[in-house]
Amino acid sequence: MRKKTSILLLVLLFSVLIPYIAQVAVYAESSGNIKDYLNYLTDSEIASLQDDIESIKQTYRLDVVIVITDDTQGKSSQAFADDFYDYNGYGIGKSKSGLLMLVNMQDREVYISTRGNAIDIFTDGRISRMTDNCATYLSNADYYNACRKFVQDVKSYAKAGVPSGQYRSPSDMTYGDKVARRIKSVSIYITALVISLVSTLLLSLSSKGKVTITSSTYEETGSFELTEARDDFIRQSTTQTKISDNSSSGGGNKSSTHTGSSGHTHGGGGRKF
Amino acid sequence: MTSVKEYKCPSCGAGLDFDPPSQKWKCHYCFNEYEKDQFDASDNEEFLNEDMPELDSYICNSCGAELIADNTTSATFCVYCKSPAVIKSRFSGKFRPRNVIPFRLTKEQAKEIYQKWIKKRLFAPKEFKLKEEVDKITGIYAPFWLFDCKANGFISGEATKVHSWRQGDYQYTQTKYYSIVRRGHARYKRIPVDASKKMDDKYMHMIEPFDYSDLKDFSMKYMSGFMAEKYDVESNEAVNILKDRVRDYISDRLKGTVNGYSSCSINSRNVNISEINQCYSMLPVYLLVNKYKDKSHIFMINGQTGKVVGDTPLCLPKQILFAVAVFLVVWIIGVFGGALFA
Repeated sequence: MRKKTSILLLVLLFSVLIPYIAQVAVYAESSGNIKDYLNYLTDSEIASLQDDIESIKQTYRLDVVIVITDDTQGKSSQAFADDFYDYNGYGIGKSKSGLLMLVNMQDREVYISTRGNAIDIFTDGRISRMTDNCATYLSNADYYNACRKFVQDVKSYAKAGVPSGQYRSPSDMTYGDKVARRIKSVSIYITALVISLVSTLLLSLSSKGKVTITSSTYEETGSFELTEARDDFIRQSTTQTKISDNSSSGGGNKSSTHTGSSGHTHGGGGRKF
Repeated sequence: MTSVKEYKCPSCGAGLDFDPPSQKWKCHYCFNEYEKDQFDASDNEEFLNEDMPELDSYICNSCGAELIADNTTSATFCVYCKSPAVIKSRFSGKFRPRNVIPFRLTKEQAKEIYQKWIKKRLFAPKEFKLKEEVDKITGIYAPFWLFDCKANGFISGEATKVHSWRQGDYQYTQTKYYSIVRRGHARYKRIPVDASKKMDDKYMHMIEPFDYSDLKDFSMKYMSGFMAEKYDVESNEAVNILKDRVRDYISDRLKGTVNGYSSCSINSRNVNISEINQCYSMLPVYLLVNKYKDKSHIFMINGQTGKVVGDTPLCLPKQILFAVAVFLVVWIIGVFGGALFA
């Protein structure tokens, strides 16, 4: 009896360990973070990008993957990016933090998928700025610089960290969840309070009449005569202000999330180029 | 000669009232209508040029009862027999008005206007909406000084032209400053200034303008069937209000000739008002004064044009109810509607 239990335990242990071992094997096989299936990048370019990615992995504990392909196996860019990341064992730490940029030549689309801590760092607004940046290069078929820019952006946002006021907004929440979340939202209470106070105030003030005569009501027609009119230029001044980029593309501090086929939560966004 | 004038129907002897829609005089008993010179042909208003002694009390011509009237009331109704009574001494001598604009609106129309107006006042206490309240509305000929004058004005100030453009990463804003000088003159005709202390100046100003094409030579006959007040603000007091108004009018007019600038601020003005002429006139007003918690609330209609001004107290419970209702509606839309699109 005791033997049977120990065998059973061993089997159980293996069944738990096997996928882990397998994953390690896969990881070793695809340790390269640049998957250029179309050979758009030269070996030296790949090496240089890989160096940068290694340093990001060390410093910020984020995995960075770039995939260039024209075959998404019939999946959408989002699904392909999520699955590629999940099933190839990318990610650092328990939460498998990291992000993947998919250059989908089939649909001429660039998509960034985030997971773990990267979901919080790369908010919708930041992702949309990053894809915008890359799309400029991609439209000119400048694939190396698109990747270069992507890696730079990752580094700078990773350095900046999670923006204050960031929150996750699962896009596959049920209606009930959304209502429950909105009931707790302070901003709705404040908005309702402000609207109610302002409308009451406006209605309260509107109870009087107003003066409708103007400066010309009692003027005898044609009696007004302008006898002197002088406009003298005195001086001029010019000021300059730097235009900040903050206004470009919104998204605020929201990180929209969804669940991939692997069952893991991802963030992300993309655009056509 | 009696000191109280009552106009009587030549056919039946009942009191005659001025009827705004037809602009004629109508007998409410025999329904005859008369033009201005068709009744009381003997009536000669020339005597009004002389001052008449003020008496302590006046007697109703119809029933003989004593008329109850304020010191400034010059046309009223007998409280007993409801006959219209016009006190002649209060329209004579220096109190003889030069002009009058007769009523165009009937009391019934004034009531309708009030009811429409009060309906829109969500926070007005319900006492203001009662029928007894509405019936208290009174047609009054209010005393006004109509001033004619000439104004010479001068203004100076600074105006700017702002031009903004974008170059590279920078937004440039160029501001050009100009010194502005304007001088001009204009004539003003018939600026009305409230001549009664009883009436609130602010509201009297708000029911302007009157249409002067209806302006008639004064006759006591128009007063019949309405209340009337005589002035108790002398023209030399009223002229100060006039001057303030004319100063603003001419400055505004001059400022209106400053065109093509982004902003303009006037830092000095000088107005000289001359050739002031005044003319004492009676203008038609419907008035309703409501007392609520020891405070008077005025409702006024221009008896000629129908322009409405007024003030109602605010009923706190109604305001709170409204605020709460709006809060709930917005909150529900925000939570349940917003969740649909989030």
